[in-house]
Amino acid sequence: MATTVAVPTRSSALRVRVSKTAIRGAEMAVGTILVILILQTVLRFNLLDEDLWKLYLPSFLDGIVLSLRYLGIILPLSVVIGFTIGWARISRFRTLSWPLSVFVDFFRGVPPIIVVIFAAVLGPSLLPARFQSQDIGIIIAALTLAMHSGAYQSEIFRAGFMSVPRGQLEAAQSLGMTNGAAMRFVVLPQALRLSIPPLANEFAVVIKDTSLLAIVGGFELFGSSFIFEQQILFSPGNQLSWIFVVWTAVALVYFVMTFAVTELLNAIDRRYHVKGLEAVTV
Amino acid sequence: MIRVEELEKHFGALHVLKGVSLEVQKGEVLVIIGPSGSGKSTLLRCINLLIEPDSGRVFLDGTQVNRRDIRPEWVRQQVGMVFQSFNLFAHLTALQNVTLGPIRVLGTDPTTAGAQGRKLLARVGLADKADAYPAQLSGGQQQRVAIARALAMNPKAMLFDEPTSALDPEYIREVLDAMAALARDGMTMIVVTHEMGFASEVAKRILFMDAGRIIEEGSPEEIFHSPKQERTRMFVGKILR
Repeated sequence: MATTVAVPTRSSALRVRVSKTAIRGAEMAVGTILVILILQTVLRFNLLDEDLWKLYLPSFLDGIVLSLRYLGIILPLSVVIGFTIGWARISRFRTLSWPLSVFVDFFRGVPPIIVVIFAAVLGPSLLPARFQSQDIGIIIAALTLAMHSGAYQSEIFRAGFMSVPRGQLEAAQSLGMTNGAAMRFVVLPQALRLSIPPLANEFAVVIKDTSLLAIVGGFELFGSSFIFEQQILFSPGNQLSWIFVVWTAVALVYFVMTFAVTELLNAIDRRYHVKGLEAVTV
Repeated sequence: MIRVEELEKHFGALHVLKGVSLEVQKGEVLVIIGPSGSGKSTLLRCINLLIEPDSGRVFLDGTQVNRRDIRPEWVRQQVGMVFQSFNLFAHLTALQNVTLGPIRVLGTDPTTAGAQGRKLLARVGLADKADAYPAQLSGGQQQRVAIARALAMNPKAMLFDEPTSALDPEYIREVLDAMAALARDGMTMIVVTHEMGFASEVAKRILFMDAGRIIEEGSPEEIFHSPKQERTRMFVGKILR
């Protein structure tokens, strides 16, 4: 007997997903405009003050570019570190597990700001002369931020691997798959799916943690804006309301970066979503 | 078809298999019963080398297969296994579960594997569930997909490890029916189960295992109604009640 069932085709499903992201984006845009309007009318900030932006725009833009460049190093590297450690800790490399757990506990237990300071100050002296350059300290600090997040992410990936029931590995082996094939076709696709939602959460933290690089002289968005703020404060006839404008603008940029990255991961999550295979979305 | 000689297995201090020997002819269905912890599951897993026995020999079609020079993957490929907890791949549809082995292990091209997979799903009565994910299927349906998945490798024999123990009562029948149909088609099967009806109907021989040894062997009639050993009598008395 033939029954007709409305099955969503791939293209219509895709359209639903796209519009979902678009709706979220629109919501955020409306919210942002509302916040700006409130600041403008109630607190009488002029967010579009031409005199301010003439002075601030260069360091604002340079800061954004530098922040994105740090993120370009930190995010991919932290994923590589996190995935590798997470995998190694569930694998048969038991000898690796202990030192790796020390690594994870260290970076989870120490405030990243302290790690950044130590990395930037002591790091360069550990390197031979040919690696020395003006911002080597900041680069090392950025690498340690990647390790810091990698430590957290390793636990996310480890949990992802461990959520795949052992029986499925056994079932794959009983079909004649090698361990490698079972890992690749059965465990990994599920572990990665389960890791995406908590990963989005962790990325949101990493993006904002790049501002810690300011303390060791990294003139990313937060650092360059901080320098600019000092100039306003100590210039004659300073405009104190400008300070709030600057930090509102900075906060907006961090918000947009975080929103874009987490929405991207959420979109990936929805694209590969399997009914009955879900992690708790944070 | 399958012969096991003097199989021994320890897990740490636990002596799980104490010299187990058995033989199953081509097309025969052998049922193994016994209390939990008696080593039934370990025995099955030693036969397809999911667990490596400490000593003893496993023969498949007359060839000893637990040897250094034979890859265990090659052995498992030829002996299908169905598990108590189904163990379907949760990220794949029913059809993809069935075709994963042929495509990735045998190198069958996806179109051919897909057509074969649909036939196998139809054979276990699930032609209309090809695109459903495991979470969308009942326990009985999942277990039938698992049977189809094992059959897709075209195995010489099938091992069933308590295939109905995790099922709600209303789904047991459909799985046993699928297994009985398989037996009628001449599949060589070793089944660990406590389903007496199934055992009486399908099996020619039943083994009773306890504490790592085969205690008694006989026809379903003998084992269930006139067991010779006291331990068999006690166990059968408990499960028949």
